[in-house]
Amino acid sequence: MISLLPQALIDGILIGGIYITFAIGFSLAFGVMHIIDFAVGEWVMLGAFMGYYLNRWLGLDTVVFLPVVFVVFGFIGYILQPVIYKVLSGKRGNPHLMGLVFTFGLGLMFRGLGLTFFGFYSHSLKTFLSSGSFSLDLGSVFITIPTVRLAGLFYALIITFGLTYILKKTDFGIAARAVAQNRDAAGLMGVNIERISSFIYAIYVGISAMTGILIGSVFSINAQMGGKYTIMAFFVVVLAGMGYLAGVPWAAFLLGIVQAIFLIYFNPGWTLLAVFIILYVILLVSPKGLFGRGI
Amino acid sequence: MKSRGRFLWIFVVVFGLFCIVPLLTKNTFFLRIATEALMWIGLAITWDVLAGYTGYLNFGHGAFFGIGAYTTAILMTKAHWFFFPSAFVGGMIAGLVALLAGFPTLRLYGAYFAIATWALGRAFQQLALVLDITGGPDGMRLPTFLNPVFFFYTMLIFVGGLFLILWFLLERAPFGLKLKAIREDEEGAMAIGLNPARVKVMAFIVSAIPAGIIGGIYAYWITYINPASTLGDLVTDQAVVMAVFGGLGTLIGPTIGAALIYAFKTYFWAYLSQYQVLYLVILGAAIAASVVFLPDGLWGAFVSRQEGRKALKKGLALKKEKRA
Amino acid sequence: MSEAILKIENVSKVFGGLRAVDQVSFEIEKGEIVGLIGPNGAGKTTLFNVISGYYAPTEGSITFQGRAISGFPPYRLAREGIGRTFQIVKPFAGLTVLENVVIASFLKYPRMADAEKNAERILDFTGLIDKKDESAQGLTLAGRKRLEISKALALEPSLLLLDEVVAGLNPTEADKTIELILKVRDQGVTILIVEHIMRVIMNISDRVVVLNYGQKIAEGKPGEVAKNPTVIEAYLGEAQA
Repeated sequence: MISLLPQALIDGILIGGIYITFAIGFSLAFGVMHIIDFAVGEWVMLGAFMGYYLNRWLGLDTVVFLPVVFVVFGFIGYILQPVIYKVLSGKRGNPHLMGLVFTFGLGLMFRGLGLTFFGFYSHSLKTFLSSGSFSLDLGSVFITIPTVRLAGLFYALIITFGLTYILKKTDFGIAARAVAQNRDAAGLMGVNIERISSFIYAIYVGISAMTGILIGSVFSINAQMGGKYTIMAFFVVVLAGMGYLAGVPWAAFLLGIVQAIFLIYFNPGWTLLAVFIILYVILLVSPKGLFGRGI
Repeated sequence: MKSRGRFLWIFVVVFGLFCIVPLLTKNTFFLRIATEALMWIGLAITWDVLAGYTGYLNFGHGAFFGIGAYTTAILMTKAHWFFFPSAFVGGMIAGLVALLAGFPTLRLYGAYFAIATWALGRAFQQLALVLDITGGPDGMRLPTFLNPVFFFYTMLIFVGGLFLILWFLLERAPFGLKLKAIREDEEGAMAIGLNPARVKVMAFIVSAIPAGIIGGIYAYWITYINPASTLGDLVTDQAVVMAVFGGLGTLIGPTIGAALIYAFKTYFWAYLSQYQVLYLVILGAAIAASVVFLPDGLWGAFVSRQEGRKALKKGLALKKEKRA
Repeated sequence: MSEAILKIENVSKVFGGLRAVDQVSFEIEKGEIVGLIGPNGAGKTTLFNVISGYYAPTEGSITFQGRAISGFPPYRLAREGIGRTFQIVKPFAGLTVLENVVIASFLKYPRMADAEKNAERILDFTGLIDKKDESAQGLTLAGRKRLEISKALALEPSLLLLDEVVAGLNPTEADKTIELILKVRDQGVTILIVEHIMRVIMNISDRVVVLNYGQKIAEGKPGEVAKNPTVIEAYLGEAQA
């Protein structure tokens, strides 16, 4: 049993890496727009199916469609953001409450659309990466790493470093961070909050959808998969501290490892429950996340 | 104060009309629809206790319904209890879960609560799938008691009583005003001696207990429950859309919303049964569209229209509403 | 001289590296009106929030009627008998004026009918009774400030903390509010008031405490404090800046 532990850790890091991508976008959108997007898992699902159908129609490898999916969903996010902005800046009722209800409704609608058009069956995405795997034989310990999961980790690292670069080094990123830190002050300094929000939301939706393709090639896809990834995104951001981006990778790896350990040592059916219990304990003990840096 | 007499009058008339339904028709399909409509009214108004009166969104309301249903099923089949005490205990356990879940989360920013309750719903669904006592994915069968009239009256008396109790609690008693104070401004509420976390947890419990009891009645009535039917997302989704579409922060809004959405659902599933999943799209679109176009819901829009007319008659200009 | 109702001993509040309130000590005696003044950013509102429980003090202790109350949450302090108003007025916007005060009355009168009776009595006292059925958000600024005072009074406090209840009002409204404050004092309520307008503070306070950069720089009768060179310098410094 002990010899399975390294494998579990490696698996966990590889799974967690994929969670980083959409969780970081989710956390970013929360920081800038103050919106919890209940549709996050549905963006993953829709992106995965777009990859699946493009692959079926055009026959090209699914990996080729990563940028296509990013652009298409980025555009969708860009044109959707003004609606969310309108809801959040509403004059009547409780706008923040309404924002949550709105994305909750969007998620439900996308799930319904997914079921209507894609049906109830599961599919898997084929890419040239799917077949191969690396093996490490260290005498007592034997570790297998499927190529596609390794590719997933590389993808996650590229996204993470790319986003970090944009946020730290470009004018756009600095403006976005200013909005996240102090909306009013940023507005007074002449930052166009609505435009920044649109781009951030576009980037987040694009990344989430693109990640769907990776998830589809590692696991399988179906129209009801969204909820599972929504809960992962929630878990990661709460663990990291809401709006605290630097905590996201660590939280994602931790979640991946918890998941892998449950898959190997326990009944996989209990994974979600374990995740929930951890979530509960965190909210009880340290609501600002593991690092105490959330809001 | 003036509306008190009129409200009770309308309530008695509507309740009386419902009471004579079984005398007018022996059509079990119709009775079934009426029973279920009452059930949804109950779920929508209990959801609104928290959302409309306190300003916290519970995206796991279905969990309380399911907890009540499963508790009732387990007590009746494994412990051979009678129905009424089983459903009562089901409600109490739902309330206990609300207490435990609300305590850490209701102290925080509202988004945490929305996330936590959403996760709670998923967690209980998963729990029912993996436990032996709940029968896993196969679900549970309850002792059959095929008496539609009994269930109609049980549901009618429970939901009718619930409506009255909530009306008294929220519109007449101090509790309702305290909730509204918390909804409007938690910081300000603290200065006048209200402990926001405590009041919110109480509201959560008040909303969860009846949802659990309704779940118990449903389980005994339908005689077969499984994780998808009682703990699936659909229970929460429908309660949310009914309350939001009808109008948050009132009892009458969610009641109207529940009646309309349920009537639509029944019609839709009866005539377009091959497109059942399309119903989710419509629900989702209805939620999103209500938020954008009808932020106060149908009832809210109706009321402000009425008030606008009254104001126009008096020759007053309508003041633009301001609210931070 | 009677005994102190509120004792503030070496209280500090630190945000990050900033000492917003720094080692402040003073006492308030029963039945007094004490004015808390100082240039902008002197830490008046922060000290107010510490006394009313919105911030826990970083150091020091606060004693109210002989009980240590440092770190108590605001709702507990309300029960102990400390009422406060907010500089940025916080009426429950969706509710009527009467309902606003009724909610505050529940602390002492848990039953609806008693709370309503108490609220009407308070509104009569504060002069808002004619507007009791109006929506709180429809009130003028003067009305909202009066509503703030009404809500605090509904708690039947022994100590009332007033945060800028006169600032922003026109002279007539200001005089009416000052009259109200004096009326409240005559009922035996001790008052700590933060106010920007010197005329107000100097007229109604029995004693004045002056803060600058979080520290207490002077304390005494209004006339003495006004002549204190350190105080004059602090205010002149602000005028030049």
